[in-house]
Amino acid sequence: MTTETLANGKPYIHRTSAHCETGVTSALFRDKGVDISEPMIFGIGSGIFFGHLPFLKWTGLPVSTFRSLPGTVFSKAAKRLGAKVFRKRFRNPQKGMDELRRVIRTGQIVAVTTNVYWLSYFPRRYRFNFSGHNLIVLYETENGFRVSDPALLEYTVDCSTHDMERARFARGPMEARGLMYYPLSVNPNPDIRKACITGMLDSCKQMLKIPIPLFGVKGMRYLTKKIIKWPDKLGYVEACRQLAHIVRFQEEMGTGGAGFRYIFAAFLQEASELFESPELNELSNEMTAIGDIWREFAVVSARIIKQRGQAEETFAKAGGLMLICAGREEQLFRNLDKVVRKFKP
Amino acid sequence: MKVNEVPQDITYYEGEKRACYALNDEGKYVIVTSTGWSAEEVVNGLAVAELAANLEETRKAVIKGLKSPLVYHMEQCQMTPEILAKTAGMATFRVKRHFRPEIFAKLKLSVLDSYAKALAVTIEELKNVPE
Repeated sequence: MTTETLANGKPYIHRTSAHCETGVTSALFRDKGVDISEPMIFGIGSGIFFGHLPFLKWTGLPVSTFRSLPGTVFSKAAKRLGAKVFRKRFRNPQKGMDELRRVIRTGQIVAVTTNVYWLSYFPRRYRFNFSGHNLIVLYETENGFRVSDPALLEYTVDCSTHDMERARFARGPMEARGLMYYPLSVNPNPDIRKACITGMLDSCKQMLKIPIPLFGVKGMRYLTKKIIKWPDKLGYVEACRQLAHIVRFQEEMGTGGAGFRYIFAAFLQEASELFESPELNELSNEMTAIGDIWREFAVVSARIIKQRGQAEETFAKAGGLMLICAGREEQLFRNLDKVVRKFKP
Repeated sequence: MKVNEVPQDITYYEGEKRACYALNDEGKYVIVTSTGWSAEEVVNGLAVAELAANLEETRKAVIKGLKSPLVYHMEQCQMTPEILAKTAGMATFRVKRHFRPEIFAKLKLSVLDSYAKALAVTIEELKNVPE
């Protein structure tokens, strides 16, 4: 934990968090005087999701996502907690940088979306060309900015002006185009119960009811079938690449472990205290158990990749683990839906 | 995952730590920092090694005179021709044309300059690859 003083003399406390967007959102709300934890933001913003997108490629391989669309967690959470937000992209990099400077001079902290490759404080092996990392800009320094990156570091760091401009305005897939956002005003006593109910129902809908077989629980089943066929269809090396790609989305992108399943379990636990509901606590335990299976899926995948084929671990086993997750998650979200509908805001 | 099960395998994040959510002894979720996980090392290592291998192959091709140094610097920035074209403000087909060494050698200084800016290297560096 580090404390920094902002341009208007207000203190800012840096806290480590598991995921960039939820960590940033939680910090923005805390700065406005509403103390709300990271899992709570994740749950209220309906962050949990699964999707396999064969038509969207990242480093040449299809994207599998364990969370909802970037940016939606912040906007949904802000809406449900009754906050007015400023959210803007820029065509002209100069204007984008000027606006950022103008706002942080007033002492308002600003979240920006950046491309990881251009952030030189990142560990070298995590600097991939990926535009979707969120961080908070605190104030200006002599040759750049002081930034707080809750998802990666335990302390605040300096970022040069050059890095910041390149990172914010990097071109390519999912361009951030200098996206910056912060809450203009926050309801000091938000109705957290109501927000939780909306968030949980929305999560159930996202996981169960999207009528396209690539999303939610159906997406997991679809991907399972593909995983099992990969070694025959693509050959061993290519199949390993694809499998590694899924595990990277599950673990590497700052997910708090098991592709956000543990954060969601933490949210359910917090919600169970809020609603004094033992059922939610049971669901939280179930989510933890599912998370453990996801971790096992990662371990099995890593073993497959490491031993290069002389196998007791097979693609069928990895696919099977994912299928178990799909079945149990389907049951969990059905139960959650039933439990939540009984609550009164 | 329990607190004592949070992987502390290796200092893989170059000394940094990452946060994980895990259950403490009372069954409550807390944030625990992890120094790295061997399973993650395998998948990340695969991707990093692949990029490095491609880059090395390109470097050799450039030295043999099959590709222009532009390809090497583009791959080092993990760009594709489309991304480089957008960053440098040029048409993609033009960028692809400049991948041919004989055409790259005749480029005007202004064109080289926009590539150098896009790839964050100097013009001198852009014309060569490391030995």
